[in-house]
Amino acid sequence: MALALARSRRGLKALVVGPGQGRTRTRAGGLLPGLLIVGVPLVLALAGPLFTGEAGPRGTSLTTGDGHRLGTDFIGRDVGRQVLLGGRSVVLVALASTALAYAVALPAGFVCALTRRRWVEELLMRPLDVLLSVPSLLLILLVAAAVAPGPAGLALLVALVNIPDTARIVRAAGAEAASRPAVEALRMQGESWARMAFGYVGRSVARTLAADAGVRLTGALYLVATAAFLGVGVAQDAADWAVMVDRNRAGLFVQPWAVVVPALLIVALTLGGNLLVDAALARPGTKEKRR
Amino acid sequence: MPWAARRLLLAGAQTAAVVLLVFALTEALPGDAAVALAGDQPDAERIEAVRAALHLDRPPLERLLDWSAGLFHGDLGVSLASGRPVSTYLADGFGPTLLLAVPTVVLLVPAAVGLGVLAARHEGRAADRIVSAVTLGLYAVPEFALGVLLVTVFALRLGWLPPTALGYGTDLLAHPAALVLPVLVLLARPVCSLARLVRAGMTDALASPYVAQALRCGVPGMRVRYAHALPNAIAPAAQQLARTVDWLVCGVVVVEALFVIPGLGTVLMNAVAERDVPVVQGLAVVFGLATVLLNLGADLVTHRLAPRTGAAA
Repeated sequence: MALALARSRRGLKALVVGPGQGRTRTRAGGLLPGLLIVGVPLVLALAGPLFTGEAGPRGTSLTTGDGHRLGTDFIGRDVGRQVLLGGRSVVLVALASTALAYAVALPAGFVCALTRRRWVEELLMRPLDVLLSVPSLLLILLVAAAVAPGPAGLALLVALVNIPDTARIVRAAGAEAASRPAVEALRMQGESWARMAFGYVGRSVARTLAADAGVRLTGALYLVATAAFLGVGVAQDAADWAVMVDRNRAGLFVQPWAVVVPALLIVALTLGGNLLVDAALARPGTKEKRR
Repeated sequence: MPWAARRLLLAGAQTAAVVLLVFALTEALPGDAAVALAGDQPDAERIEAVRAALHLDRPPLERLLDWSAGLFHGDLGVSLASGRPVSTYLADGFGPTLLLAVPTVVLLVPAAVGLGVLAARHEGRAADRIVSAVTLGLYAVPEFALGVLLVTVFALRLGWLPPTALGYGTDLLAHPAALVLPVLVLLARPVCSLARLVRAGMTDALASPYVAQALRCGVPGMRVRYAHALPNAIAPAAQQLARTVDWLVCGVVVVEALFVIPGLGTVLMNAVAERDVPVVQGLAVVFGLATVLLNLGADLVTHRLAPRTGAAA
């Protein structure tokens, strides 16, 4: 699928910016809604740990009131404090994995885009086609069955899952830029590969890739949160929104806040992030040039 | 080579890759099954004994050949934890997962196409804006967060539906109400992403000259939309199908964990927790094969509908 897709401009566009972003898309109303929705969980995730005091004494499990605004969790900790602490891991692991995926996919994609040897391209891209057939969560669970990955391991795994798609998009976007006369001129002038790849091709596809990175980041957020919910890459009692949802589920009927608040924050983070990326893509300045 | 042959070849390669990858991942990683099984006091002698009993002392290549030869005969090996054949685990989990998967797949395409066409017909108007905003927002939301919120509203506040399938065992068919929320949660992401793509393809198709010509000739609007425009509109959606299948397979695991449904996903999670490597391997192969087959089927159907796109391979 990848190659045929990448060869057609329309396929590339669908891959890169998602559906309906051409002349036919409806404006969802600018950046503001997305920014507002994503702002609360993001600020809470990044700045929250700065505002937590010392951990108070543990109370009774899964109760409301008694000095705890949001009640207590399954081992009697203050839910408010856990909420403040619990966003950082989700956001940071997702960010790290997106950065890692790009660190591998950028050079690989550019090598494929700039090479004139077909076999190099086939060698780098075909295995990725095959890797796409492995469900992403399955790969993570498989590794988790053998080792217990920490947050760093989880970031690595999520990055690994994202590399095939990212490399395809970098290659597809880069191939178009690499076939321009300017690259031919650079090549005849004897410029170095890095200069051509990152100096010219990279610069001309930066916008497309920025858009893709946004999409990739929301995908990573999803995967990191889901893995944490299933207990991969986190401690049993970690301060993590996804873990909170999982561990406090048993007390949903007596103390819903311990589940609903972190779940709402995760929904807001992913939903708002998605709206924001989409709105940013729709801004006239960032639209792909039509040739 | 004809397109279908190339696509089948890719599916074959993907199957081989899944088998190889599953084996390599569970083998190459540190902490082999014998260590995990030897219990709390793993002395070297006991580990060696377990290792010999599991044939882990033989070279990896030999074991890979043995294992994949067994796969051909449907022999998936024996669980480390219980000693039961892995196939009995599969048989136990198969029913509930099927009950979850069949309604989801049956509802997925009509729901996505219906929403997409609805939005495209009313492009730019209220119906389109609502559908577009909801589908855009929902499709990145993790199933577990959405599911927990739905449970809070529909089971806790309103009391309409049971919060989990706990206590119903594998006999879920007798309790269809317990399946409503799981199927709804499982549908959310794929429906949203497909509906967005169908809408995008449909707005393009409806604006095309051939649709205008068909309407001018007096072909009924219904027929133009569903018989002429839709097959072309589905083409861009086909490019998303691989990811949709991926989401469904992942979603099954999460939804089963969330709603306590004793299906394949739950079996997989339990095996992961117990580090029961043969069961994990067997289930991973089954999930991987399901992905390959679903992708293959989807690609073949799409190719039939819109041969020009040359989807896949």
